[in-house]
Amino acid sequence: MKPALIKEIIKGIFTKPVTIQYPKEQTVIEPDFRGRQYADLKKCIGCSLCAVECPANAITMVKIPDEYVVPKTNARRIYPVINYFKCVFCYRCVTVCPTSAYLVTNDYRLASSIPIDSSTLSLSTITGAGDER
Amino acid sequence: MVEATHMIEIPITVEIPVGPQHPALHEPLLLKLYADGERVIKVDVITGYNHRGVEKLAEKNSFYRDIFIVGRVCGICNAVHANCYVRALEYMLGIDPPPRAKYLRVLAMELERMHSHMLILAVTAELAGYETLFMYLMKDREYVMKAKEILTGQRVLADYMMVGGVRRDVDETKISRILDMVKRVEERVKYYHKAFQEDITINRRLRDAGRIKHAEVLAHSLVGPVARGSGVKTDVRAQDKYDAYGEIPFNVITEDYGDSYARAMVRFGELYESINMVKHILTHLPQGNPVPDEKKLPRRFPVDESYATVEAPRGELTYYVSSSGSDKPYRVKIRTPSLNNIVNSAFAYVDQMIADVPVILGSFDPCISCMERAIITNLKEGTRYQVPLKALGGVRK
Repeated sequence: MKPALIKEIIKGIFTKPVTIQYPKEQTVIEPDFRGRQYADLKKCIGCSLCAVECPANAITMVKIPDEYVVPKTNARRIYPVINYFKCVFCYRCVTVCPTSAYLVTNDYRLASSIPIDSSTLSLSTITGAGDER
Repeated sequence: MVEATHMIEIPITVEIPVGPQHPALHEPLLLKLYADGERVIKVDVITGYNHRGVEKLAEKNSFYRDIFIVGRVCGICNAVHANCYVRALEYMLGIDPPPRAKYLRVLAMELERMHSHMLILAVTAELAGYETLFMYLMKDREYVMKAKEILTGQRVLADYMMVGGVRRDVDETKISRILDMVKRVEERVKYYHKAFQEDITINRRLRDAGRIKHAEVLAHSLVGPVARGSGVKTDVRAQDKYDAYGEIPFNVITEDYGDSYARAMVRFGELYESINMVKHILTHLPQGNPVPDEKKLPRRFPVDESYATVEAPRGELTYYVSSSGSDKPYRVKIRTPSLNNIVNSAFAYVDQMIADVPVILGSFDPCISCMERAIITNLKEGTRYQVPLKALGGVRK
């Protein structure tokens, strides 16, 4: 019987700390990590299936502002807005989408003091009045 | 004048609350100890601080939404919860997933068992007052978390199970990376196993703490590593052979003595078994497409009921799902291993030192968020409860 970790502890004193100094040094994550996802409005048909299937009720269907040019397939002019504070990142919306309209990223940095949702990212996929100028 | 023939000594008991904030793990549970000096003479286990109503929530949501909801019953063992529920649905629908999907499910669940056991071994060390070992074990647990991230897409909440298969496939690069991670973990686990066997602090704190005999395990229906630590050979993986467990070789680890140390050793043995299973799976992975098209899965379920059971890191976990023919389940009943192991194990603390109580609780691997879906009413209620002198007789002499 003896203190078993002594050697390891002495070795640990002279090696670099394991802790990552997060904001200065980014955490290494996989390219296919389930991060922030948003709908590509060129493909979205406004069927609301993702909003129905979302286990966290994080998706609401919202009217696309009038100045945006919407594909003819989306006759009702609605698109899904994901509330990232509610979203659990299960990607059920991504897998049930009948037109595979969701774009996925591995962005995991979601800390924010104001509510964040996917509207800006989604609307940037189609041309609006702002872009034509 | 009458001379006194007897002197009645009334033992003074002190009521000590352990918890509900941080009794052993960072989860809410109240152990109300009645102590006489340093000895514990009675323990009331009081639960109910974390009731979230997951079973009711499951009735209100569709079958497919529930797959993700039941995964959030417990953070540590989310893949086994989802697997158990998904298999219950598959039994109802009569779907048999492809062999590759079965192997990948087992892979996810064994990675989960590895990080769960490493966590509780680390916490055991911390509760014994050995925080250095805790830090080192948690550092190497990161390899397993990374392997799980490579496989499922997230470190903790896998969301990997789907009716008819799994939700993402692995390629050759991922296989070799997971293998590499697991080999590194194996080296470290061997080192920590030796440290647990040799270290003076661990041995003095864990040996003889909370000893449970073989017959007591059966009488109180304890499950999982707690039962196996007392020599009861119970393991749903070996008995039920669900998914690919029938094809993957592994041993059921048991220890005979039944104290906290034996339970820690069972967990080390299972870590080695899990590592070997992961290696076997990654080298013998069958070909085929394990990912079902989630758009084409049946929306409605037949009027039926089904029952699935799975060996979670903490023991036997069962799901009962009843369908009334709509898109929502009529009833989902979850029975988790922690409910058995924590509520039924109050006898294990009796006649132990107060300082050993966290160690014993830690050795049961409590998962409070798992167990608190049930309302327990048959425990002694009311905080003003006084121990009758009769109850003390015979306990302390």
